[in-house]
Amino acid sequence: MAEMKVNVMTTILQVKKLTGGYSPKRPVLHEVDFEIRSGEMIGLIGLNGAGKSTTIKHILGLMTPHSGEVKVAGVTLEQSPEVYREAFAYVPESPALFDELTVEEHLRLSGMAYGVSGEQYDLRVEELLKEFQMLPKRKAFASHLSKGMKQKVMIMSALLASPPLYIIDEPFLGLDPLGIRSLLERLVEVKKSGAAILMSSHILSTVEAYCDRFIVMHGGAIAAQGELGDITAAAGMRDRDSGLEEAFYQLVSGGGK
Amino acid sequence: MAESRAELEKLWRERAGRFRREMMPYIRYMGQSGFPAFLSLVLIMAVISYTKLVVNPPADFPIGEIGVLVLTPFLCRSPLRTWLHPADVVYLMPREHQMGSYLSLSFKRSIKWSGVWAVIVFLLYTPLYSAVNAGGGSGAGVEAGNAGVLLLAFVCLVLRVINYWGAWQERRISWSGHRVFSRVLRWLVTALVIGGWLFAPLGQAVIINSLGLFVLGIMYRNAAKSSFPWERLIEEERGTRKRYYAFFSLFIDVPVLDNSISRRPYLTWLLRRIPYGQHSTFVYMYAASLLRTEIGGILLRIAALGCLVTYWAAEAATLSGWSAVFSIIVFGFVYSVQLGALRNINKYTVWRSIYPLPENGRIGQYLKVDAAALATGFVLLWLAAAVPLLLQGIFAPPAVAAVLLLLFVWRRPKVLRRKLLLEEEEE
Repeated sequence: MAEMKVNVMTTILQVKKLTGGYSPKRPVLHEVDFEIRSGEMIGLIGLNGAGKSTTIKHILGLMTPHSGEVKVAGVTLEQSPEVYREAFAYVPESPALFDELTVEEHLRLSGMAYGVSGEQYDLRVEELLKEFQMLPKRKAFASHLSKGMKQKVMIMSALLASPPLYIIDEPFLGLDPLGIRSLLERLVEVKKSGAAILMSSHILSTVEAYCDRFIVMHGGAIAAQGELGDITAAAGMRDRDSGLEEAFYQLVSGGGK
Repeated sequence: MAESRAELEKLWRERAGRFRREMMPYIRYMGQSGFPAFLSLVLIMAVISYTKLVVNPPADFPIGEIGVLVLTPFLCRSPLRTWLHPADVVYLMPREHQMGSYLSLSFKRSIKWSGVWAVIVFLLYTPLYSAVNAGGGSGAGVEAGNAGVLLLAFVCLVLRVINYWGAWQERRISWSGHRVFSRVLRWLVTALVIGGWLFAPLGQAVIINSLGLFVLGIMYRNAAKSSFPWERLIEEERGTRKRYYAFFSLFIDVPVLDNSISRRPYLTWLLRRIPYGQHSTFVYMYAASLLRTEIGGILLRIAALGCLVTYWAAEAATLSGWSAVFSIIVFGFVYSVQLGALRNINKYTVWRSIYPLPENGRIGQYLKVDAAALATGFVLLWLAAAVPLLLQGIFAPPAVAAVLLLLFVWRRPKVLRRKLLLEEEEE
């Protein structure tokens, strides 16, 4: 059962010197190294092709590392696939839904897969449908939904599972302003309850406002990581009050140290 | 202007050629599968039965009803291959005003092929019609002589042309409800008109004809229409390609295309009855795929047709009831082969790897859904044979059929599990 109970700062995700990619001869990621503790929201940022999605795929276990390792909830995928997998929920960049299931049936499938109890499921499903303004669409097939609504189904499925770690790839694409607000409010809530969130996004202002730490990726490696001050320092900026956007620009355009 | 028209026609031809080349390897695989031999056998048997029927038709042969049943689909169906693709909304749409020449090639192709089929069916039907009528089985419709056949041919030609036109008008109708309604109406009117010519006296037939055309005309005139139904044509093209691939998937692995989904509310209760729990996750997923995708529709049609044919064979107690057993075996086999395609649906979904569930559990749960669907189909087929046979006091054929079906249901999970594990390794 994936319920989040703990509220102490334990490490939920460890990525150790991860080198990987689609072909062993041409690694995309180079010694990526970071960790995420419970109760933290981490912003994963970088240009297109910087290696964010490849990093996420390695964490999901969809790709095999060339070297290094990924541990979720203290285990690698090989050590305990079930402990590993039930510790996180994933919201992909492009909604991946089953055409033959309705919105409500997707939530039910997700509840079943993550072992959410029947009572918890009944409670959460109504709450989520209401919060994401999806009550009128509960019986609609995925193929009849707009892109934003599909994204909402993905987000609701992840929230329903209530795991200790959320891996969210570009969550704001296609979401309407109310959807973005509901998502952010929910993420703050789950964070407070002790869950960790790894969120990849290009909306730097939102990332800056909501995340506790940042990982800036460039060319398949981590260009900088830490709190805002660490990032600006890595970007070689004297003004510690500068924003994430400026620091990011400096780092990826070669202006950093 | 002329240059850009030629360019679009060239594009049409290139796309048609590309599709042919795309299909070629699959046709080869189908050729190697023994399917053509099976088809030839069916064809030979059909020719023999047909010849027998023409030479010696039963007096009460329902030639009028058969005429309506056989001619209507071949006069109504007007498929249109446009080779259009979703990206065309971006790249070809700006040239919509020049698309007439592109589309005219599609129309020519459609007219040619559906025309050829209509002629073949008509040529097969008329000798039978003449033979039955010469035997005294004539209804009140057109006379069986040359003039009558020519008149019927003319009516069919007019109906064929009207249906090409009507099908195009329907594609242009904006609202899907109107579109479906108008298609149903077009088929009904066509069936009625054919029925009118085959059953009613000339005067009444002409009245039915005129009324039918009037109704269709009014409907097409009043519906909201778009000048060029891009989305409809793209969707139709996608559907056609999918049917090709669904057919070839019986012989070899094919690229996975999007599924088209039907709600089938009369089956949704089955989904709700699956217990909520981690152990049923994949049962739920595969059951939804089975009930809502095309596979479910195909299985329903196979089961319905199989039950009907089996029932007829059993009711007539042909070959002392063994023909019904043969029918069960044939339809049961086709049903099981088609059901096997379920494993290809959602084969590449990312959730299969991400959900915290053991992989061997997935195979077990798949086998449960497969067994339930197989048993349901087999029970229906068996009942269609057993009830009429047992009522006639014939026991051996239904007993043998039951044993054969049980053996198959018992054996299948073992074979299928091996196949699924092998496929998993290959992935």
